[in-house]
Amino acid sequence: MIKIAGLKKSFGKLHVLKGIEINIKKGECIAIIGPSGTGKSVFLRSIALLEKPDTGRIFINDTEITSKKTNINKIREKMGMVYQGYHLFSHLNILDNITLALKKIKKMNKVNAEKKAMEMLNMVGLIEKAKNYPDQLSGGQQQRVAIARCLAMEPEIMLFDEPTSALDPTMTYEVLSIMKKLAETGMTMLIVTHEMNFAKEVSDRVFFMDEGIIYEQGSPKDIFENPLKEKTKIFINGLKVFIYEIKSLNFDMVSMNAKIEVFCQKHNINSKQKYNSQLILEEIIVEIFKNCYKNSEPDLKYTIKYSAKAEEITINMDYTGKMFDPFEFTDEDIIDNLGMILIKKIIKSYKFSHKDDCNTIHITF
Amino acid sequence: MGEFFNGIIKSFERNLIAGDAYLIVLNGLWVTLLISGLGLLMGTIFGAFLCALRMSKIKILSGTAKFIIAVLRGSPVLLLLMILYYVVFAYSRIDPVYIAVLGFALNSGAHIAELMRSALEATDKKQLEAARMLGFSKLKAFTYITLPQAGKIAKPVYQGTIVNTIQWTSVVGYITITDLTRTVNNLGARTGDPFFPLFFGILIYLGLSYLVYALFSIKRKPGEVK
Repeated sequence: MIKIAGLKKSFGKLHVLKGIEINIKKGECIAIIGPSGTGKSVFLRSIALLEKPDTGRIFINDTEITSKKTNINKIREKMGMVYQGYHLFSHLNILDNITLALKKIKKMNKVNAEKKAMEMLNMVGLIEKAKNYPDQLSGGQQQRVAIARCLAMEPEIMLFDEPTSALDPTMTYEVLSIMKKLAETGMTMLIVTHEMNFAKEVSDRVFFMDEGIIYEQGSPKDIFENPLKEKTKIFINGLKVFIYEIKSLNFDMVSMNAKIEVFCQKHNINSKQKYNSQLILEEIIVEIFKNCYKNSEPDLKYTIKYSAKAEEITINMDYTGKMFDPFEFTDEDIIDNLGMILIKKIIKSYKFSHKDDCNTIHITF
Repeated sequence: MGEFFNGIIKSFERNLIAGDAYLIVLNGLWVTLLISGLGLLMGTIFGAFLCALRMSKIKILSGTAKFIIAVLRGSPVLLLLMILYYVVFAYSRIDPVYIAVLGFALNSGAHIAELMRSALEATDKKQLEAARMLGFSKLKAFTYITLPQAGKIAKPVYQGTIVNTIQWTSVVGYITITDLTRTVNNLGARTGDPFFPLFFGILIYLGLSYLVYALFSIKRKPGEVK
């Protein structure tokens, strides 16, 4: 039903979509998840050509909508889009919000249009609000009207762009239950959402978007329980990640510590764990500098991962140079290695490997 | 107290009744209404045109419109009238009333163009997009969504522009037109009692303003919520 090939889009220098390839069958309910700013909305909007793709082709029911000849207004009649901000027509009451397009686009007469509108309002449970204006309704009610307005046009595809992000939990529930009902009727739906439970429960397929592509896709079970790729795991498990690279012996340790400080504060990591991370990193880096980079500039990179679930911090460090394991020292060096001994006490597990001139340390605590 | 009222009644008779003076006042009022009414009508059409140019994506058009608007808004309407009367139409036999209409059309048009633009820009573009998603063409979405909303936003400012224009027409006496202001001034000069006719003139202008406000505050049909 929807086929997209090589879809790319950039805003100035920012490449948002870097080549999206998908096929969506009729009746599928797709949840699109991923971190903010990874082009989920832009992708959704591209399907309705609200964003003009730079390159790539989009087919809806075998009609290429990216072709110049296609009348996009006709295509859009077959689509419904629900926004985070509802976007009801503020100068019209609820009934007129729904009947306007029926009358002007579908050329229905007033009686039939109103009948259809009331039917839709009944479905979303808002008949009694028909004569009210949008600003007299709660967010959840407005969103349900927005859905009803789309459905009145009898679309074949429904696009939802974070439909519940502006709503409180009760209102979110109102809207999600309508969407769930809709999914059960076999409507083709694409939903950009941060409601993971909803995505898990309702969708047939989940797209995880990152780096401007569909980074990983699969059944909700696959994505939520066994994500295969690194970034998906980070996202699904709520991991917080801090990455730092050192390329000079005179690097700014104070600034590095400050950045770790900010990272820890941002993710509510307690001060003991913060202090330990800083201590471990400082000690190890100094040891590595002493042993590996006497005559050359360092090439060292580490990531700190914090799992909120396990309250556990993992540090992964890669550095080039000769094989050197900072945790391996003889008893004679004990005075020189007091710091390392201290660290050994703190950490829970530790792994070292050396491969192709590259050392890797893996620490959890 | 009685003497005071007697004085007023006497003044009223001397200034407005004697020699059918009220007919002259009515005539002046008609000229004022003609100039403001026609001027505003043409000004609104001209303003819409200017506004369309101003919002054009073609730089030359929008630049030209911007320049015209700046010049017209930045120059006193009286000077504009005098230039039209003494320079542009110096050798034509056009009735000065129509020159005044043209002058006010140009002046109010520039103001109206800007008020239209700010109203259009204040509308919610997202609602426009929602309409496009329902299958509305650009033109239809503009007609059914943007225009009514912009109209609502522009209404109070437009009303102010009308009242302003009516008052500014009081300067047309400078180009030999006998409008309401000129008429009441003449009456005062004739009777040697300028206070009463001038004050009466103000009352009429005030009445006109309230008439405009009243016209603009006509309520929606009953039965509608809100």
